[in-house]
Amino acid sequence: MKILLIEDDRETAGHIVHALENQGHSVEQVHDGIAGLAQARASEHSALIVDRMLPGLDGLSLVKQLRAEGRQTPVLFLTTMSGLDDRVEGLEGGGDDYLVKPFAFSELLARVNAITRRHGEGEPTKLRAADLEMDLIRRTASRAGKSIELQPQEFRLLEYLLRNAGRVVTRAMLLENVWDLHFDPRTNIVETHLSRLRSKIDRGFGAELIHTVRGAGYILRAD
Amino acid sequence: MQIRFLYTEAFRLSAIYAGIFALSALALGSVIFVMTDRAFRDQVVQFSRADIAAMRNGFDADGIKEAREVLQQIMGTPGESDFFLLQKDGKKIAGNLPPMPAQTGIVPLPGSGRGHDILGAGDFLEPGLYVFAGSDLQRVHAAEREILQTLAWLFALAMLLAIAGGTLVSRSFLQRSDAMARACRAIMDGDLKARIPVRGAHDELDRLAGTINEMLDRIAALMENLRQVTNDIAHDLRTPVSHLRQRLERAREDSHETKDYAEALSAAIEKTDEILQLFASLLRIAQIEGGARRADFAPIALGPLLTHVRDMFGAVAEASGHHLELRLNAEATIRGDRALIIQLLSNLIENAILHTPEGTGISLQLSRAGERALVTVNDDGPGVPREEHAKLFQRLYRREASRSQPGYGLGLSLVAAVAELHGADVTLRDDNAPGLGVTLSFPVILPPGAA
Repeated sequence: MKILLIEDDRETAGHIVHALENQGHSVEQVHDGIAGLAQARASEHSALIVDRMLPGLDGLSLVKQLRAEGRQTPVLFLTTMSGLDDRVEGLEGGGDDYLVKPFAFSELLARVNAITRRHGEGEPTKLRAADLEMDLIRRTASRAGKSIELQPQEFRLLEYLLRNAGRVVTRAMLLENVWDLHFDPRTNIVETHLSRLRSKIDRGFGAELIHTVRGAGYILRAD
Repeated sequence: MQIRFLYTEAFRLSAIYAGIFALSALALGSVIFVMTDRAFRDQVVQFSRADIAAMRNGFDADGIKEAREVLQQIMGTPGESDFFLLQKDGKKIAGNLPPMPAQTGIVPLPGSGRGHDILGAGDFLEPGLYVFAGSDLQRVHAAEREILQTLAWLFALAMLLAIAGGTLVSRSFLQRSDAMARACRAIMDGDLKARIPVRGAHDELDRLAGTINEMLDRIAALMENLRQVTNDIAHDLRTPVSHLRQRLERAREDSHETKDYAEALSAAIEKTDEILQLFASLLRIAQIEGGARRADFAPIALGPLLTHVRDMFGAVAEASGHHLELRLNAEATIRGDRALIIQLLSNLIENAILHTPEGTGISLQLSRAGERALVTVNDDGPGVPREEHAKLFQRLYRREASRSQPGYGLGLSLVAAVAELHGADVTLRDDNAPGLGVTLSFPVILPPGAA
């Protein structure tokens, strides 16, 4: 993927570029808002990573400007300590996701992957991975033709994993998207629900679909 | 320095008032003077007319001789006119004035009669027989002078009072504004407890002083809060940061293989995340306490929200040997921030899960009490001694018993901050039943027409 990074802190920018290039992405970086806007207009990118606080033109205005010009490139906002309203403001301003610094690079990679997938994809009514199927309209799930009973939150969890099938999703992404939690709980909500979900969809079937990626998160993958 | 009061607003105002008062006193004095003068002169003329009438009566009864007798009789009587003249064809018959050209009606004779002004009236008793009676204006002038003098004294006294009053008022104003300035300066110099003195007169200055004092109280409270948080942060960050340092140091001494280093690094990153988490929590509480979010409030139906929270923690509670029960005794809608309310309830439920032994029952309950929605998180665990209740909501307060468990003692301060933001009262159950019970009482939104 070709990614444009607009970040004025050169040290952070250096680390991000390093991490993304390690994953095989090609990264352009600029260090202020004006140059960032020009660069985003000059060529097509798979994703933009934009710091909220930039010299010249702040990140939010930059993205609003791009959106006003009809550019739909996925945007991941970066910010230092989160203002409570910053997240909502960022998403309403045209951002696709929001990440608070400092962050683990695995978190950044997972989120960049997730926002690039989300784009240009219609809303499917059925999700499928290997022999696991979900019908989002009828709210049913089955594996190998056998119907599986899911609690509402288990259903949302599986839906999110399936939508991101083949990609790592982090604990924080699950907390935000499945449970609407924007803080780190002290109990094992994610682990507990995942273990229940696993016992329903993986136990008694041939291959495991939900895998734990150590130090990064989880992935639903048909091996 | 001594004449500084001359430049005060109060003195300037009283000087202006004194000026206006002086002008009106002058106008009033002039009117009084003119009117008194006219009354005196009218009286003089009336005396003269009465005397002339008496002489006419005498003349009508017995001719010139009788008129002359009447004249001489009146002339000796005090309280009547002073000057008389009876002349026939320009020759004086009787009286104490020299002959003069005959004038009828009111006749002023300035400077005549021993140098005095005379005012009187003249008339003809028969053609050629002229009579004049008049009085010395000396007495009128004397009365007028007296009136003028009295007025001048009164005026001077009034001016003196006005100036003294203005000075007094501005002095007291100055003293009070000086007191205010002194208090402000003391505060600037670091004495945050200094306050502006209030006289108890309930006047504008007192009200102003009261308002400023209230503002100072609020600022002092915020400063105290800030100071406390800064202390707490400095203090509580030392512990995890020194742990981190010790670990890194030990890793440097003891590690021999790459594997050891990798493990040490993972542990260090984990510890760093903990520290960042602490920062994030403190900032979050500070932001909530700042009240910045109220603009984003939206109606929240509590029933579905509590159900969501129960679904979220039900399995977690079960996995740790607890039992989480939801009781919806009513439905209520409040105005608020959904994410914050979820975090508030999460903190309470997680506290119950983390700080009570296995087998403890936890209940999440919604009921109504009039226009309040009561959300209760209750457990039947060991509870918290009553004397510790007040401390529970303090920032970074950790019970001795829970020091070995993860956490920084911020959970309940966040609960308190979110509750405050939503206008909700937080109460701790105070009965003898086992366990801890926290009740939040939110103001509900009434459906249109219900109120």
